[in-house]
Amino acid sequence: MSDGMNRRRFLTVLGATGGGAALLGACGVGEEQAQKLIPYLTQPEDQVPGIATWYATTCRECPSGCGVRAKVREGRVIKLEGNPDAQVGRGHLCARGQAALEGVYNPDRVTDPLARNAQGQFEKISWTDALARFGANLKGANGHLAILTGQESGSFGDLVDELAKSLGGRHVVYEPFAFEALREGNRLAFGTTAVPSYDFARASYILSFGADFLDTWLSPVDHQTAFARAHGFAAGNPAMAKLVFVGPRMSLTGMNADEWLAPVPGTEGRLALAVASVIVRDRLASAQPDVGRLSGLLGRHTPDAVAAVCGIDAKTIERVARELAAGDGLVVAGGMAAHYPNGAEIVAAVNVLNYVTGAVGKTVQFGPNQNVEAGTFGQMAELVADMAGGRISVLVVTGTNPGHSLGGAFWQAWAKVGTKVVISPYLDETASAADLVLPELHPLEQWNDSRPRAGVWALQQPVMQPVYATARAAGDVLLAAAGKPGSFKDYLQTSWHAVHGRLGHGTSFDDFWNDALAKGGVASAASVEKVRLAAGVERILAGPPDAPALDGGAHDPVLIAFPSPTLYDGRGANKPWLQELPDPVSKIMWHSWVEVHPDTATSWGVTDGDLVVLQSPFGAVSAPVWMTPAIRPGVLAVPTGQGHTAFGRYAKDRSFNAFDLLGGAANGYAGRTFTVRVSVKTTGDHRFLATNVGDPRELGGGEEIVRSLTYAKAKALKPGDRPFRAREYPVYADSAEAGWAVAQRTEAARGNYAGHQPRWAMAIDLARCTGCSACVTACYAENNLPTVGEDLVLRRRQISWMRIERYWREDDHGLQAVVTPMLCQQCEQAPCEPVCPVFAAYHTPDGLNGQVYNRCVGTRYCANNCAYKVRYFNWFNFAERGGEWEAWPAPLDWQLNPDVTVREKGVMEKCTFCVQRIRGAQNQARLEDRTVQDGEITPACAQSCPSEAIVFGDLHDPASRVAQVSADPRGYHVFEELNTRPGITYLARVVHAEEA
Amino acid sequence: MTHGSTRVAAGIALLVCVAVPLAAQGGQPTPAVTAPVISDTGSLKGPRQPIFFRHDVHAGQSHIPCLYCHYSATVSSEPGIPSLQTCGGCHFIVGGSTPTHQAEIKKVRELTSSNHAPEWVRIHTLPAFVHFPHMRHIKALGTESCNRCHGEVREMPQVYQVAPLTMGWCINCHLQRQVTRDCVVCHY
Repeated sequence: MSDGMNRRRFLTVLGATGGGAALLGACGVGEEQAQKLIPYLTQPEDQVPGIATWYATTCRECPSGCGVRAKVREGRVIKLEGNPDAQVGRGHLCARGQAALEGVYNPDRVTDPLARNAQGQFEKISWTDALARFGANLKGANGHLAILTGQESGSFGDLVDELAKSLGGRHVVYEPFAFEALREGNRLAFGTTAVPSYDFARASYILSFGADFLDTWLSPVDHQTAFARAHGFAAGNPAMAKLVFVGPRMSLTGMNADEWLAPVPGTEGRLALAVASVIVRDRLASAQPDVGRLSGLLGRHTPDAVAAVCGIDAKTIERVARELAAGDGLVVAGGMAAHYPNGAEIVAAVNVLNYVTGAVGKTVQFGPNQNVEAGTFGQMAELVADMAGGRISVLVVTGTNPGHSLGGAFWQAWAKVGTKVVISPYLDETASAADLVLPELHPLEQWNDSRPRAGVWALQQPVMQPVYATARAAGDVLLAAAGKPGSFKDYLQTSWHAVHGRLGHGTSFDDFWNDALAKGGVASAASVEKVRLAAGVERILAGPPDAPALDGGAHDPVLIAFPSPTLYDGRGANKPWLQELPDPVSKIMWHSWVEVHPDTATSWGVTDGDLVVLQSPFGAVSAPVWMTPAIRPGVLAVPTGQGHTAFGRYAKDRSFNAFDLLGGAANGYAGRTFTVRVSVKTTGDHRFLATNVGDPRELGGGEEIVRSLTYAKAKALKPGDRPFRAREYPVYADSAEAGWAVAQRTEAARGNYAGHQPRWAMAIDLARCTGCSACVTACYAENNLPTVGEDLVLRRRQISWMRIERYWREDDHGLQAVVTPMLCQQCEQAPCEPVCPVFAAYHTPDGLNGQVYNRCVGTRYCANNCAYKVRYFNWFNFAERGGEWEAWPAPLDWQLNPDVTVREKGVMEKCTFCVQRIRGAQNQARLEDRTVQDGEITPACAQSCPSEAIVFGDLHDPASRVAQVSADPRGYHVFEELNTRPGITYLARVVHAEEA
Repeated sequence: MTHGSTRVAAGIALLVCVAVPLAAQGGQPTPAVTAPVISDTGSLKGPRQPIFFRHDVHAGQSHIPCLYCHYSATVSSEPGIPSLQTCGGCHFIVGGSTPTHQAEIKKVRELTSSNHAPEWVRIHTLPAFVHFPHMRHIKALGTESCNRCHGEVREMPQVYQVAPLTMGWCINCHLQRQVTRDCVVCHY
């Protein structure tokens, strides 16, 4: 700090004297109660107290199966990170994966076997009793048995197959989002139901028809990493792919697109064929074999023929076709486009488009197929029909929650089943209605494996002793009840003996197994296979171009139910981190909404937060309106995931269930139709939306916060250019600035501040950041951030050290969304530092803006002064056991990171650049008599980011990556004209547009 | 070889090594120390522990190094409290030479066989907002430096806190040695 403004002078100027400082003895620090030290009985060999042990396992929060490394401290897993050795995920983890910790430590887990007694209530019974009953049920089923699971692509799925067959029953797989249209569409086009791998990294032009590949589609983490490679802008290699997103609703993937086209719902397939017809007509790509067979199909779908029906003008279609064919194109279909009644035909049409551009075999690779070939909704509907017909006497459910997503007809059929047994860690809707509930271990506590992709065997191991010793692995329960010998781990190892036989290459099984455990699995290459156009493909989308018929009133607006990127199909709703994570598109927390275009909302006379009743032929819900330009006028969209009637304190009785609006019948491709026409009734009621948009913390329209460049301008930049350095301090401040600089150098040579120090800094590349918010949840997990609940979020009191801000822009391609992570900028001349009366906020010698919790007395002046509004105050005692605002009811507190102080009421907090990781690396380097290497310290946010958008390191080291990235011409500081000298350099976003 | 049996073997080896210097005549580098008989335990400073473990017998008389039990102090922030298995490594054989000794050692054996851990009363506690890295201090001051902060534990029948462990006391040493006084080195 300079002579110009220091703490004493500031207080003098204010007129405050030392008198008021009398009560600065920090509250909460008094005599510590006598603590107990409980030693081990037997010291585990590989555990050193205070040092974490890492175990490789597989995430099961969605069907992707990303590899995970679990950080275990003193026998408790406290953090999950991606596993760099894994084939899926490759070291990154999304928000849902990070939140798996709140699944294993959930305070509402089932702890004992429960059986329904004569009064219809659950009562606890012993395992012996439970297994006896379950075993008797299985024996007595006489073939009228069904075992219902979620997607299980590995040994557990095999075990269930075998057991079901041996007992004369069947294994049904139910995933609410099961990609049926993809499989059927591939069969229509190529004669195979396999789902290929999509090489986003290699594509120079990506055209997505509804496929939300950055949100939830197939393997979003891998897609995001690959997309960042293709679409990120690198000064040395500036070939930047263009993403065009086609869908009535923008979605997170659409927010990252360079261009968003919003066609009439259901006409995406016609549009794809129109693009293909232009490519073939103008010979824009080399002709593929058999393309002549498509002439009739493509001839019916000229741009002029489809333009009116799709709502996209012919000139745009022609341009997109030219751009797509110009390089390595990749067209994907999924998400919304695969959820219409004609979804499979839309996928087939997109396959035709990929075929004529020559992408099949290049960016679309059959061979290394993604493993989603599990059940279909049709098979589930058949099961429901059998249940309703009284043909199922024993139903076993594990790993899936049909009660939430299937609604009315399912419950009627459920009532006709003789005995319902559910093996689950939670009392979700299905378990709450069962006859027998058996407490299951969480995936982090049990053995299993999966095969997410051809050639990849991912292993899952317990990373800690069970939180509840009374819970058991589902495989063990099934084996015991069926009277089979051995444990599920034995079964697993037997199937791995087979894997060893194929891939062991002369190693012993023990070596092979231990190596697989350490790495999280094994992989072998799967070669790319050729596919040909199937017979009959030319018959798809027959008839003149039109939009498909949907259930509901013919003039009612179309409603799309989409999987929430945070709660997914509902399984995330019992995790407060995910509830409090602002939806990447709407930024709404703790509640669902209906997306309505502002024009449509005006015509109905509603605004944000007004409750409307949406009525489909299948059900009705009351939903608050969220006005957004990111949807086609006249179309509505609702996220799935809320509206649980059970499933724990965080999920129960919250918001509405989007699945209630959908029908239960399978459609033409054995999938479920997620679009329906709904009548809309305004109610006059209002509900405030818990959102962080419009916060005083999000300032203005974001023009100065998120800067962007057109691709042409970005390519033209040379090293040393400073396009964003136009604004500095004004000329008349030159002498003052020079004076301060001298004074600062003098101050900087004192005491601890003398000598060579690192300056910890960060660079965030906005051309790579997608706004997925994995960093936000990773920060919650690492830094003991409390979730505050919906009431406090409504009062803007959430405590997210890292937040993603979203702003809308218009460019020549129409609506754009820009996002930026915003966190403490660790300013060199921080406005928060001089105003703290007690020196709790100060600048450390190594460049951090330090916050000393025990000094803080809660004046909140620092947060007032912070220009970036990244300081957060603990208004309540979130750590008080049993208190009203308790954020970590047991055993959620087991997740807390022991290296980070848990803050009390009255204390200010903010991002620390994961200083505990910095200190940890410095301590380790000191022990090893060396210096800290670049890349050794990775904050939690940077570690999790699938796009690798965040770089961290020592800015004073010219060879460090952060120094090089910060020197990029695209670099700028937010609010540079305030002269705060932030430690975070943002790299401007780059868009394919004439004006950014 | 399991960890347990390694400990037992080490314990036996240690006993042998320890017994020899005490029996030998003159010329020994380690001074022979005999821990006193305590008749009035009530006048001892420090809290009563569930087992009356005497550091002056083990660390003083028997010359067991601090790091034998508090094993992680050189690598971790946590100094490490010895597992019951560590106690058992010797006391599975050593039963005690007096009735009071035997009574305490019996507690160790009973706890081991009943699978309970002793609940030691913690002496040195820092508030939760301080992160004290033991390994950095041992790296800087050496493995014989425990007594700087913990006092002469080798002479304590019952451990008590010697140093105030206040921040000012920590800072004084940092000042003397001219090492960092930055807040965020310990408070984060």
